[in-house]
Amino acid sequence: MSERRSVLITGASKGIGAATAERFMAADNGVTDLILLARESAEFTATQERLHAGNPHGKAIRPYYVDLADRARTVGVLKDVMAEVGRVDILVNNAGYTSPRAFQQVEFADFERTMAVNLYAPFTLVQELLHNGNTFELIVNIASTAGMAGRPGWLTYSASKAALITMSEVMKEELAIYGTRVVCISPGRCATDLRKTLAPDEDPTTIMQPEDVAGVIEMLTTDVGRFVDSRNLVVRL
Amino acid sequence: MRGRKLYSLILLNGGIGSRVAAGQPKQFVSVNGLPIIVYSLVAADAVDEIDEIILNYPEGWRDDVEKLVVDYAVRKPVTYAPAGATRHESVRSLLPLARNEHVLLHETARPLVTAADFRRLIASPHDNVSFMLPIPFTVAPVDPATGKVTGHLERDRLRNVQLPQKYRLSDLADAHAYAEANGLIFTEDGTLATVAGKDVYFLDGADRNFKVTTATDVRLAGFLLGGDDEGE
Ligand SMILES: NC(=O)c1ccc[n+]([C@@H]2O[C@H](COP(=O)([O-])OP(=O)(O)OC[C@H]3O[C@@H](n4cnc5c(N)ncnc54)[C@H](OP(=O)(O)O)[C@@H]3O)[C@@H](O)[C@H]2O)c1
Repeated sequence: MSERRSVLITGASKGIGAATAERFMAADNGVTDLILLARESAEFTATQERLHAGNPHGKAIRPYYVDLADRARTVGVLKDVMAEVGRVDILVNNAGYTSPRAFQQVEFADFERTMAVNLYAPFTLVQELLHNGNTFELIVNIASTAGMAGRPGWLTYSASKAALITMSEVMKEELAIYGTRVVCISPGRCATDLRKTLAPDEDPTTIMQPEDVAGVIEMLTTDVGRFVDSRNLVVRL
Repeated sequence: MRGRKLYSLILLNGGIGSRVAAGQPKQFVSVNGLPIIVYSLVAADAVDEIDEIILNYPEGWRDDVEKLVVDYAVRKPVTYAPAGATRHESVRSLLPLARNEHVLLHETARPLVTAADFRRLIASPHDNVSFMLPIPFTVAPVDPATGKVTGHLERDRLRNVQLPQKYRLSDLADAHAYAEANGLIFTEDGTLATVAGKDVYFLDGADRNFKVTTATDVRLAGFLLGGDDEGE
């Protein structure tokens, strides 16, 4: 019997995902394998280098390069993950995409891309891993306060996050048969590239930092995290 | 793992009335959003001592049952076999497929079974054991032909027979051979094995683990499986 315990984090190249990977790297929490998903980029490489440089518990870092809007490729990568790592105990569906536009200017293809990355990818990750015989200890879906109330100019993003919140509620009920916990987190504004896209004029030093959200995600995997049972956990400054 | 007995789980599909099933096989009836069959499969999948599941499927629905097993991440090896005409016949025809000397018997119509139930049964020192419930009401023996009550039954000495149960395979096979030789048909195996001369024991079961037979039962099971019934 292997003593391995793995976490899979999507969107681990930067922002909240990278900060979460760093948290898991530093924590003495029995997690042995970090499975990191993003597209290939200089930022992703730099993040991996940072993780390797500070690895006090000798954890394995396993990067996988994939565009999560490409469902067929995503399914293939998940097969590789199962063949190479064998299990995903903790899944953090963090990758997110937005290109804010007023309703009148929304390109349908961009709406589809937003839904593909923010909603269908989390669905595909959970379903494909289940169909490969993997059951989870914990699934964390990163939605947004933008999914709790619509905001002008953010139609596609708000709609995708609202759907992710309700999808998480259903998952929480249905995956309870395996003892899987499902938690949806809705961060408020947080200093990352995505936020810069949404609010270009804001001073990032005045708002919540990626490490703060990462701290909440890691808390969910601790003993006390077991007691967090929320339909949608709002994290904001 | 040292010296631990391994069990084959025989999972039956009887129970639910065909009106509740509304045209589809009973094992696909949705309880709290999931096909009823899934609950027993997932509970059994979590029990280390169970190393195979023998599942009967209704004629023509094998592919659907196989797909459910994959979709719901059931990892134990599953052997598929067609259902018999009666429950009694199904059990008899499934017994030869079991590769272990010890078998567990369960039915998909009891979706509230837990992995802990299977483990409690396995932990009993006896070979042949059934969960049974005390009867909280009085049962009278009657003669339906004459409409007369014929006597008195002491309810302390009666039990409501539940599933899961466990058996030594050879004991259960002997019991079915005995029934065949004597032209007997039983609706459950604990009393059959007893009549055939085997020692059968009981453990107190839980009233939650009831058999879903009516539309009301489907709703009640859905409510209990919803998880918010524990009280605060
Ligand atoms: N920042 C906020 O104010 C805020 C508030 C609420 C919710 N959130 C949510 O938090 C999550 C993380 O975002 P962030 O703020 O940390 O933004 P970020 O720094 O821009 O990071 C976004 C991450 O998602 C990945 N990603 C985007 N599109 C992808 C695709 N097609 N395929 C694979 N990966 C893709 C990116 O990887 P690549 O390197 O491949 O681009 C990157 O790792 C998102 O779900 C976001 O909606 C953020």
